[in-house]
Amino acid sequence: MNPAKEAIDWLDRRLGVRELMHKNLGGYLLPRNINIWYTLGAVLLAMFGLQFLTGTLLLVYYVPDTEKAFTSVTMIMNEIPYGWLIRYLHVVGSNLIIVFMLAHMLSVLFMGSYKRPRELTWISGFILFNLGLVFCLTGYLLPWSQLSFWATTVATDAAGAIPIIGDQLVAFMRGGPTVNEATLGRFFALHVMGLPLAFLALVGFHLFCVRRVGISKPPFGDDYRTTDMPLSFHHEEHHDGVPFHPNYTIKDTAMVFFALALLVAITFFAPGLFIPPDALEPADPFFTPPNIKPEWYFLWAYQALKIFPNELLGLASQGVAMGFLAMLPFFDRGLERRPAHRPLFVTLYLLGILVFVGLSLWGHYS
Amino acid sequence: MSEAPASPNERRTFLGIILAAIGAFAAGAFGWSLFRFLSPVDRGGEDNQVRVTRDLVAIGGAHFFAFQGRPAVVLQPRAGEFVALSAVCTHLGCIVKWIDESQEFLCPCHAGRFAPSGQVLGGPPPRALDTYPVILDGDDILIG
Ligand code: FES
Repeated sequence: MNPAKEAIDWLDRRLGVRELMHKNLGGYLLPRNINIWYTLGAVLLAMFGLQFLTGTLLLVYYVPDTEKAFTSVTMIMNEIPYGWLIRYLHVVGSNLIIVFMLAHMLSVLFMGSYKRPRELTWISGFILFNLGLVFCLTGYLLPWSQLSFWATTVATDAAGAIPIIGDQLVAFMRGGPTVNEATLGRFFALHVMGLPLAFLALVGFHLFCVRRVGISKPPFGDDYRTTDMPLSFHHEEHHDGVPFHPNYTIKDTAMVFFALALLVAITFFAPGLFIPPDALEPADPFFTPPNIKPEWYFLWAYQALKIFPNELLGLASQGVAMGFLAMLPFFDRGLERRPAHRPLFVTLYLLGILVFVGLSLWGHYS
Repeated sequence: MSEAPASPNERRTFLGIILAAIGAFAAGAFGWSLFRFLSPVDRGGEDNQVRVTRDLVAIGGAHFFAFQGRPAVVLQPRAGEFVALSAVCTHLGCIVKWIDESQEFLCPCHAGRFAPSGQVLGGPPPRALDTYPVILDGDDILIG
């Protein structure tokens, strides 16, 4: 008698799990030429799970109070056994998530997988990316260090450039004219409750879209065919494909492990990478440290704001750029997905990356 | 000796075993850190003595204080004679009250009663209150 088999039999009689498992694992066929970039979703999922876990653990000792926040974080780092590990994993993990999100989006762009009929997958993913950034922004304030305080001041200040309602908007976001305990309260609530709930729901929708529409075939190789937009709903099947399990699950797992290895490598050998010296001083609202800069993933926006003659113009151009990216599948309606056959797109793609990297470096060194 | 190259299936199984082993190791290491992270923090002072000034304890009165992280009480039943007891009721852990008039402890939860020596006088408590050693040191009382 095999207890595992018994348990599955028991479940199968009630919920039909065998059929479910077959449909989603062994019998779920993926394109034969699927590549490593398709694992980034699983990597991100794992990383988010870890953020959720480490975040919950940090909540055990963190105190969201302007008088106590910094001391509680210092205590986590110095007194609680392995507190440093949990906090560094959370900090480094958040940065890596942005890196993996960018890589995920860039690969989807390059392979043209955002095109119809996958507009909803793209848009939900794009919103997830933005939620990720808000996660970072709100989490940044919580340790209540000099860096937290002034980076948040600078970041929220940008909204002041919007005409008429700008000042009110800034005050609304901060819960007062300057960053203060009200800001900490609302950022904390968002970071630990509001955002995770919204994020979870949207991840669910995103995965639903991925599963429902079917995995797109990588646009490489001789057997590439342009698929027409079907007239009615159609799940993209890959009859000669490879099974999701075990073929792809093992690849997913291996990539997740690589990502985790990178995470612990940075945590152990370069923990200060994302923690500049200003993060080690408690916040002082009466002293602005020199050279306060946003996190690396906001540097492009920060520099863009600086080079435009007028803040409003800078802000508007960022809005247009982000809006354009979000709505890309509606502008880019061609069905061709092979990069070699999309010279205009690939040129813009490379230029876009160059502008992002260039602006970020410029922002970093200016 | 030449061997046939491993089939994709064999390679997958091999990779699976390696990943499972690394995963088990990592989960173990992380699990241990997690356990330590959540264990009570040893803030020292576990076996430290507590010093209470004599003036705080009236004759026939009681003074409550924290000893090793738990409520405790020190009494002066007769001039110059001090008794230190745990204030945690031995029944279900409520904190006992000192009743001046009757010179005994009353537990507010289920009306357990204790003598100044800690002995049970009545009610559900199964055994006496724990006692702590007391040393006189000038104007202070050293407990523990
Ligand atoms: S807890 Fe004290 S009498 Fe029950």
